[in-house]
Amino acid sequence: MNKELEHKFVTELQDNQNIVHKVCTLYTNDRDSHNDLFQEITIQLWKAYPKFRGDAKFSTWMYRVALNTAITLYRKNKKRIDTADYESVIFKIKADEYDETEELQLKLMYKAVKQLGDVDKALVFLYLEDKNYTEISDTLGISEVNARVKMNRIKNKLRTILNP
Amino acid sequence: MTDELELLKKDWQNKEFNVPKLSYEDIHKMIWKKSSSIVKWILIISILEFSVPHLLYLFPSMREGMEVYEKIGVSQYLFGLSVFIYTVALYFIFQFYKRFKEISVLDNSKNLMRKIIKTRKTVKHYVIFSLSMIMVTIIIMIIGVYLNDNIALAFPEFKEGLANVSQEKLKITIMLAIGIFGVVLTLFMGGVYFLLYGLLLRKLKKNYTELRQLEI
Repeated sequence: MNKELEHKFVTELQDNQNIVHKVCTLYTNDRDSHNDLFQEITIQLWKAYPKFRGDAKFSTWMYRVALNTAITLYRKNKKRIDTADYESVIFKIKADEYDETEELQLKLMYKAVKQLGDVDKALVFLYLEDKNYTEISDTLGISEVNARVKMNRIKNKLRTILNP
Repeated sequence: MTDELELLKKDWQNKEFNVPKLSYEDIHKMIWKKSSSIVKWILIISILEFSVPHLLYLFPSMREGMEVYEKIGVSQYLFGLSVFIYTVALYFIFQFYKRFKEISVLDNSKNLMRKIIKTRKTVKHYVIFSLSMIMVTIIIMIIGVYLNDNIALAFPEFKEGLANVSQEKLKITIMLAIGIFGVVLTLFMGGVYFLLYGLLLRKLKKNYTELRQLEI
C-alpha cells in the first residue's frame, strides 16, 4: 500500500514539477537555493499527500502547499548575491517568438517581479498561473475584495519599478 | 501595465523553465530527506526547552548543589515550588502539543502563519514562566539566607576563612552573590531565547503582518 502511494505521488509530482520549479524560481536567487526549496516543497507535499483525497486536481492542491512552504515554512534567508547569471539562464526569453521591444519588456518585468515581497510574489504567481480571485483569496486566506485591491497595488508597484 | 502583465502571463504559461527536469529517482530520493522547515525547528527548540532544565538534575554536581538549599533551610519551600512548576509545565506541554498538531501546510497561508505564531507563543509564555520561577527560587534563597542565624554552617568548607567575618557581612555578601547570579542567568537565558526565535521567525512575521494589514 505504502509503496503504491509512493509510486503514485512521485509520478504525479514528476509530471507537475514545473509548478514547483516556477515557485522556486520566483523565491530563490541561485541554483543551490532553488534545489533546496524544491526539496523542502517535495517533503511537505509528501507529508501532506495522505490527506489528498483526489477531490481536487493534484496540481491545484500543489499550489497551496508549494506557496505555503515558500512564504511560511522555508527558513533560509535569501542570499543577496549577484544573481544576473542565474536569472538570465532561468528566464531565457525565446527570441524568435517576440519582437525586440517585447523581449526587453519581458526581461524588465521578470526583474521587477523578482524585486517584490514574498506575499506580493505569491499573488503575482497565482495571477500568472491564471487563477481567479476566488482561488487566490482561498489560497492566501484573504478576502476576494482585498485580493483585487492588493493586485492593483502590485500593478502600480511594478509600474513604479519599471518607470522610476 | 495591464498589457505588459498580460504579455508576461502569456510568456509565463508557455515557459519551459531552463532547469534540469528531475527524474523519478531524483524525486523519490527527496521524499525521504529530512525537512528543515521552521515548524520542525520550533519543535526541536521547544523539546529542548522543556527537557534540558530537568535533565540538569541528573548530573551529580547539580544534586550536590541542591544540598545547599537544605543547609540554608529552604528546601521544603522549594519542593512545594517544584510541584507547582511541574504542574504548570505539564499544562504547557499539553497546550503546545495541541497547537502544534493544528499546524497544517494545507491551511491557507494566513491561518498557517497564525497557528505557527500561536504555537510559538505557548513556548514563549512557558519560557517567561520558567524565567520567573528562576527568579522566585533566587528570592526564596535570599530570604532563606536572611532568616538563617548561622549562615557560615552552610559552607563548612570555608569555615576557617569565614571565622573572622561578621555574620551580617557574610549574609549580605551571599545574598548579593545569589541575586547577581540569578539576574545574570535569567537575562542570559532570556536573551538567547528571544534572539533565537527572533531570527527564526523574522520572515514569517513580516509576511503575516502584510497579510493581516490587508484586512484593515
